[in-house]
Amino acid sequence: MSGDDHYPVLMATLRSADPGPPEPDRTPAPWEANVHATCACLSWRGTLDNLERRHAEDTLGQTTYADFPLHARAAVVTAHSLLERGAISERELETRMNQVRARFRQA
Amino acid sequence: MTHEHDHHAPIEAADEISEFEVLETAIRELAIEKGLFSPDDHRRFMEWAERIGPHGGSRLVARAWLDPDFKQRLLADGTETSKEVGIDWLDPTGTGTPSDFTYFYVLENTPAVHNVIVCTLCSCYPRPVLGQAPEWYKTPHYRRRVVRWPREVLAEFGLHLAPEVEVRVHDSNQKSRFMVMPMRPEGTEGWTEDRLAAIVTRDTMIGVALPRADWTADRSPAMT
Repeated sequence: MSGDDHYPVLMATLRSADPGPPEPDRTPAPWEANVHATCACLSWRGTLDNLERRHAEDTLGQTTYADFPLHARAAVVTAHSLLERGAISERELETRMNQVRARFRQA
Repeated sequence: MTHEHDHHAPIEAADEISEFEVLETAIRELAIEKGLFSPDDHRRFMEWAERIGPHGGSRLVARAWLDPDFKQRLLADGTETSKEVGIDWLDPTGTGTPSDFTYFYVLENTPAVHNVIVCTLCSCYPRPVLGQAPEWYKTPHYRRRVVRWPREVLAEFGLHLAPEVEVRVHDSNQKSRFMVMPMRPEGTEGWTEDRLAAIVTRDTMIGVALPRADWTADRSPAMT
């Protein structure tokens, strides 16, 4: 899967997005800092180069993920790139997201 | 600033969990399990991101004040010349971060031109050289007003510029980050690079203040 193809597991996260125009005044959530650190680690350890990811964000952000808010694109595109490279599978990601969701709801 | 613990925002309820947060957690956990990086790697990046300050920018300015050749290189190619003080915008294991990969421009203040930076869209900021942006930099009051009424906004910071000085406001974005190189103040002749760097504070590199020989950000104003 590549190019404009999309991954259903990622497209499903769009339900978290607030409808309406962008919010330039929003305060970043803590998980956004985690995404940046994850991207830094993936690049540092050689799995996903930062520059490649930034280019992917530009490209996919105008196409496949155009409806996603800007602040979510790094996470979505990082996941997309890892899926595309076979570093993780859709089944693995979906299963883990279900587990994470269940853990969060226990709190 | 006060910290009124009686007025905490409510903790996010379980049914308000962000799917993006779920995705982030899942990616991170899977990447660690597969050995793509370690939990320690991640923690170290988080700690680093939270502690970087404006010292790199201060060093760039101080060296430029002392070395005309360095200054010319810095003004011509900020991204490349930053490496000379140990800041690599393109290297995530150095001081760059993924959100900071961009072109870096250093803007020289002169007797005729004063520069100031902003991000009107969000909060883009030259983090590898200045650290985390101050809260006021992110406020709509600053972002919206400084591009319309720069002199008035600078005056609110206590910076009153002569009418003949041109004020240039530079809008940061995903592709370009800026930093101001203030003019070297009087009374600093013969100073070392370290001593000069100490007076090049964060706000002077944003452009809302001017460096002074009698002021560093390392000590309380009450002690000067």
